[in-house]
Amino acid sequence: MGIIEVKKLSKTFKVKIKEKGLKGSIKSIIKPKYKTISAVNDVNFEIEKGEIIAFIGPNGAGKSTTIKMLTGILYPDAGSIKVLDIDPIKDRKKLAYQIGTVFGQKEQLWTHLTPYDNFKFFGAIYDIPESRVEKKIDELRELFELDEFINTPVRNLSLGQRIRCEIVASLIHEPKVLFLDEPTIGLDPVVKENIRSLIKRMNKEYKTTIFLTSHDVGDIEKLCKRVIIINNGMVVLDDTMDNLKYHYLNKKIVEVKTKEKVNLDDTDGITVLKDKGYNLKLEVDITKKSVTDAIKLLNPDNIIDINISNIPLEDIISSIYKEGI
Amino acid sequence: MKKYLFIFKSEVMSDMQYVFNTFVGFIGYFILLFILFNLYSYLYTDSSEIINGYTMNQMIWYVIVTEILWTVLSGKRLCRKISNDVKSGNIAYNMNKPYSYIGYALFGYLGEIFIKAITYVVLAAIMGFIFLGSFPNLSIMSILAVLLTGVLATVISIMFIITIGLLSFYIEDSGPIYWVYSKLILVLGTIFPIEYFPIGVQKVLSYSPIYVVSYGPAKLFVDFSFDTFKNIFIYQLIYLLIAYLLASFIYKKGVKKLNVNGG
Amino acid sequence: MLMAVRNQFKVSLLSIKYAIMRELLNKVTFVTNIVFMILNNASFIIQWVVLFSIKDDFGGFGLKDVLILWGLSAMAYGFSRFFFKKAFSLSETINTGKLDSFLVQPKNVLLSAITTDVEPSALGDILYGYIILFIYGMNLKNFILLTIYGMTGGLVLTSISVILNSLSFWFSKTDVIADTGNSLMINFSTYPDGIFKGVVKLMLYTIVPVGIVVYIPIQVIIEFNIIKLSITILFTIFIVCLAFLVFNKGLKKYSSTNLMVARI
Repeated sequence: MGIIEVKKLSKTFKVKIKEKGLKGSIKSIIKPKYKTISAVNDVNFEIEKGEIIAFIGPNGAGKSTTIKMLTGILYPDAGSIKVLDIDPIKDRKKLAYQIGTVFGQKEQLWTHLTPYDNFKFFGAIYDIPESRVEKKIDELRELFELDEFINTPVRNLSLGQRIRCEIVASLIHEPKVLFLDEPTIGLDPVVKENIRSLIKRMNKEYKTTIFLTSHDVGDIEKLCKRVIIINNGMVVLDDTMDNLKYHYLNKKIVEVKTKEKVNLDDTDGITVLKDKGYNLKLEVDITKKSVTDAIKLLNPDNIIDINISNIPLEDIISSIYKEGI
Repeated sequence: MKKYLFIFKSEVMSDMQYVFNTFVGFIGYFILLFILFNLYSYLYTDSSEIINGYTMNQMIWYVIVTEILWTVLSGKRLCRKISNDVKSGNIAYNMNKPYSYIGYALFGYLGEIFIKAITYVVLAAIMGFIFLGSFPNLSIMSILAVLLTGVLATVISIMFIITIGLLSFYIEDSGPIYWVYSKLILVLGTIFPIEYFPIGVQKVLSYSPIYVVSYGPAKLFVDFSFDTFKNIFIYQLIYLLIAYLLASFIYKKGVKKLNVNGG
Repeated sequence: MLMAVRNQFKVSLLSIKYAIMRELLNKVTFVTNIVFMILNNASFIIQWVVLFSIKDDFGGFGLKDVLILWGLSAMAYGFSRFFFKKAFSLSETINTGKLDSFLVQPKNVLLSAITTDVEPSALGDILYGYIILFIYGMNLKNFILLTIYGMTGGLVLTSISVILNSLSFWFSKTDVIADTGNSLMINFSTYPDGIFKGVVKLMLYTIVPVGIVVYIPIQVIIEFNIIKLSITILFTIFIVCLAFLVFNKGLKKYSSTNLMVARI
């Protein structure tokens, strides 16, 4: 049995349409028009204990809506959700004791208080006895390296320090599942790296199941073993990271700089992506043609410089978004 | 001047979207007036009675006018906006723009309340007529006088509100000063005409801003005479000048202070 | 169950305490707000001194009675705004998706949402009530009654606001309706009921329950009556329950930030 089970989940929103100008505003008051948007449409998946899963998709794909239904914020229109065998609709409070949430764009902390006081507050929210809260804070303070600023008001902290505190606050009650919605948004690369390694460590240490949404390919690549891609409210891909990469690893990008101009047309297995006379960019499908074939075609003596690479994950993902498979 | 008119116009336009709010907001005005109507019906045993020179009908029309001025000019938002501009340092950005901050704030706010003012005047006139069954003695002359003094009263009030907002240069929160200011206008100049107060107080009030920002237009509406008009008009001009000078003085001083502190 | 209630209480109090600490960051502003609010309330004494110079009785109320009416109204108002400030802008909290963070906590969403902020000036309103009581006639009985009625009044005002603001779960632009409802309560509660007649008076004891939270209490302060006291208390319990009911019903319709607000 999975730790999260989602079956036939659907949710629609009614959105008011407003026409332009004064006439439009008056019209929308008297007789508002609505459009129904299907935010999540027949979504199914299952997640096992201890997994770190990336739940990704373009803006407006239904990521947030799904995560909000999983955490009991939104009511679904249809379908069923079980998180730790609890139905978020029926037992919101019961579920809340078991899960943690971090919304990268929404602060849960009191900014005028120190992280320490904030953690105490969260301790009270989850009914944890004083002595246990203090022990937990000590433990997390070490793991997340908070010593420097645990007594500085949150408003004086850097964004990276804040997000670390947000994560710690969501861990005070030892949740079994942690939902991270864009945890690294707006952070610089060094801090991002730091947060990622902390998330990884936490997953190892506490066996916490982590459900992550992010636009940052780095987050996904470095943290997750499995990816669910959602687009237009539907799951378009649910696979392991390795499979996802392998599927696209059959294609290589060959960039060359030549002495003389080459005229090359698409052939079976080789696609010209860019042709600037002396600079060429080719995509080689190695199930059909080998890279050597491509080099031969260009004449090896003519090549000044060559670079052969895999398709970046970012491009893989965006091509999936576009194709909508 | 053109740029100020532009600001005025764009505020009017953006306010158009909230016509609904304006209508619903009128309910609040209606409630206040309804209560005062009940209060004065209780105070006046019969409609021919004259208290402090006012019949009941005159009293009600008086508060209809002053309440419009008071509600429409409820400047809590303006005051807070200016406070925020001061505190966030936005006001410093405005310094090197080719317009005066005060002019900008004044015309922007005039634009913001324009539709509300017109809506309230029309609805309040209908409401008053329904309550009382008649209008006071009006002539074209008196209506024009009321409109003119009404507009001047509005401009002067906004100037005062801006001045209070600008006090944020010196104090942390100018909000409380605004409450007291607006409550004094309400209690001393809106609910009753000046004549309701003891002689000594009347003297003081007739030289105070209350005379020009609320009493003036309402008095002319219920009991017009050319002499009163002349008087009120001259006082309004004087107060306009004072209010403008006061606002500019505080603004200039404040901005200098801001520069010293490095904004 | 009892444990859960105790824990809930603890969290709400802690929330209010933290909110007070935030306001206390600037002590001068905190104190000025309170002092000016007292002055602000006191300005209405002028109005009534003028009115009583013309007539000595308004609907059976003398100057002292009007004062205690004002004191009680200010207290109820202060009580609601100080402890439950956010109940008065709840529709904004709902529309901007700010309930999210409360929904993921194992506590009551409504209570969490309305106890995250305090209004310092409202403390001035509460103090004003006691100051007026000194003028009116301070004794233990009056003190207790005024305190109870300040709280019941505050709870009723808060509940009405919660109910009206909850409408924004279903409809848009309901904030003006809520504001109108609130000002309706406040405006009527500062005038003696004797000046109103007929339908209006009936309204004041039903859909605009000023009568139950202010007029009846004044009668009880003037002359104690246990039945009248229980009417107000029962009504308070009723409307508080109704507020929770309506809010929780609406919560099912909650759409968070929805798709309307672009996330940047």
